Amino acid sequence: MAVGGREPRGSKAAPSRPLAPAPPGELSVPIAVPNTLWQSSNPLAYDGGRPAEITHLREFGLTDAGRNDAARWGALQVIPTNADYILDLIRANSLWPLLSGLACCAFEMMSGATSKNDMDRWGMFPFRASPRQADVLIVAGTLTTKMSGPLIRLWEQMPEPKWSVALGDCTVSGGRYKRSYSVVQGIDRVMPVDVYVPGCPPRPEGLIYGMLQLGQLVKDRRGHWNEREIGPTAPDDI
Amino acid sequence: MPAHQHAPRTSPARATTRAARPHPQPSADDASARQYSSADDPRVMLDRQVGALFEPIPPYPTRTEREGEFYSLGDGEMFLNVGPHHPATHGVLRLVLKLSGEQIVDVDPVLGYLHRGVEKICENSDYYHVIDQVDPLEYVSSLFQEWAAVLSFEKLMDVQVPRRAEYIRVLSGELLRIASHTLFMGFLALDLGGLTPILYSFIERDEIVEMLAALTGARMLFNYFRVGGVNGDLNHEFMSRLGDWMTRAAKQTEAQAGLLNENEIFVRRMRGVGVLDRATALRYGVTGGNLRASGVPFDLRRAHPYSVYPELDFNIPTRDEGDSLARYLIRVDEVRESIKIVDQCLHNMPDGPVMARLPRLIRPRPGRAWGACEGPRGMLGVYTISDGSDGPFRFRIHDPSFLNLETVPALLPGNLLADTMAVVSSLDPVMGGIDK
Repeated sequence: MAVGGREPRGSKAAPSRPLAPAPPGELSVPIAVPNTLWQSSNPLAYDGGRPAEITHLREFGLTDAGRNDAARWGALQVIPTNADYILDLIRANSLWPLLSGLACCAFEMMSGATSKNDMDRWGMFPFRASPRQADVLIVAGTLTTKMSGPLIRLWEQMPEPKWSVALGDCTVSGGRYKRSYSVVQGIDRVMPVDVYVPGCPPRPEGLIYGMLQLGQLVKDRRGHWNEREIGPTAPDDI
Repeated sequence: MPAHQHAPRTSPARATTRAARPHPQPSADDASARQYSSADDPRVMLDRQVGALFEPIPPYPTRTEREGEFYSLGDGEMFLNVGPHHPATHGVLRLVLKLSGEQIVDVDPVLGYLHRGVEKICENSDYYHVIDQVDPLEYVSSLFQEWAAVLSFEKLMDVQVPRRAEYIRVLSGELLRIASHTLFMGFLALDLGGLTPILYSFIERDEIVEMLAALTGARMLFNYFRVGGVNGDLNHEFMSRLGDWMTRAAKQTEAQAGLLNENEIFVRRMRGVGVLDRATALRYGVTGGNLRASGVPFDLRRAHPYSVYPELDFNIPTRDEGDSLARYLIRVDEVRESIKIVDQCLHNMPDGPVMARLPRLIRPRPGRAWGACEGPRGMLGVYTISDGSDGPFRFRIHDPSFLNLETVPALLPGNLLADTMAVVSSLDPVMGGIDK
């Protein structure tokens, strides 16, 4: 088993991965609390612990640096209580998105928020500029490798409970940049995704539909925040 | 076996068929896996380095003289990081500001957060796919990027475009220019803290993109222009929507401009801020409305006429001040001129085909061609080298936003921190085109 008592992701049967070697002169052993609260429902999520096949992600995975932040990989830092069974019903009707646009889809997102397609009608309005005040991260636009670090940092800064929407083909699967050397082929390779909205770009109605589906998902999953489906869900041959 | 040679990723649906195959895992005694240290490899983005993205002082010895100058703090100076996620940076632009109190001393823009490698993808595509691939560059006004590419290809192939197709191009292009400028006004006010104009902007913009969706099939990334014409003639829905909109377009534009033109807070925050004088603008290669706001009447539609612009009657508005307010007022004037052009297109629209007769497979002669058109932000150019195959051998995109944004380090120092966004936003950058 891995050093430090850390369980590998996925099923218990998954082989262990060596941790990154400690720097020389480092004597103190970090205390790592194993995650017994949460196990992924899908043992093959995140390749069952195998390294990713994209070059930069593979090298990133080899360093084990990504395993250190629990928020990205699904473990909860808070525990939902019975009150959250009720509170989630309220949250589902008042989803505050983060005002974060990456590329083209951001304009359709803003179009959905303004006069003609008024998302405010379903309580999805105040686009917060600070991740500390937002419930939903709508990833609108192409995610490049250079931007993935800041985006993950935004996601980690959002307090639980939080949800994410992948808006547009680029964020769903890479889309028209499937052959690009600098685009992350679907944001579910770097962060969890709750709702996928395909389209290049999707119409604002598509985003509203996705957000309504997200509201239903919040209600269905109330009090069970850790049942978040994580990992790439797009088949290989897309 | 090296650690990176592993079996392909399996989806849950195929897990049963592949479960029996053992996946090679990096074992503890695997020398290549253990000794690999990505800290030696500058391409690898570690979490620590991700954190370092937000620290203005680089951990490495400075590489250039300019870098050393920027990252050495004077007395009472501090750094402030803006972006890449910021509600007012028009995308994923990052600015590292060096401040002395409230005053900006120096600026270091960091680009590349939206670099998607479009030029390389275009070189691996054929000529039809290139038109689709260049769309998301200037995503606010993607028809102009298509137009530049198509102009370049048509020069390579020596195609005569039918006049009706040219008129349709001008018509749709000018409509999109209005949409782009309208959005510009809204975002400029939004960056200064006014929430109302953006709501009016999106009413106009949504109406225009909906009528273009009736014409082209898409709201933003149109993929409408073709080598030798356009993809589809005018249809009834487009014309009826356009007719409805034209009855109120001029009035609506004036009403929207009046929201800002007569707003004292807006005017006083814009006037005299970020003055770009004529010589500096020419030296930096600024084009478009930003150049015309500095007093240079350069517009590609008149300077190097293309399409049917010589037949149309419109003015090139210029201003002498060169400040942010002038850059805003130029856009308002251009919307008025564009409405005039749309009106003339509707009155002069000739009959005829909308596509030239061309073979299905485009193979131009070997050669090189530069095609450029006047987009809402300036000269959009495409330089293509053909080797005689069905795709460009080399494909280079000249984007005006990049050159316009280059003036930011010259404009910002001396201004207050609160004026940063007024200046950057008045230059109207689109990060998709800047980072390509």
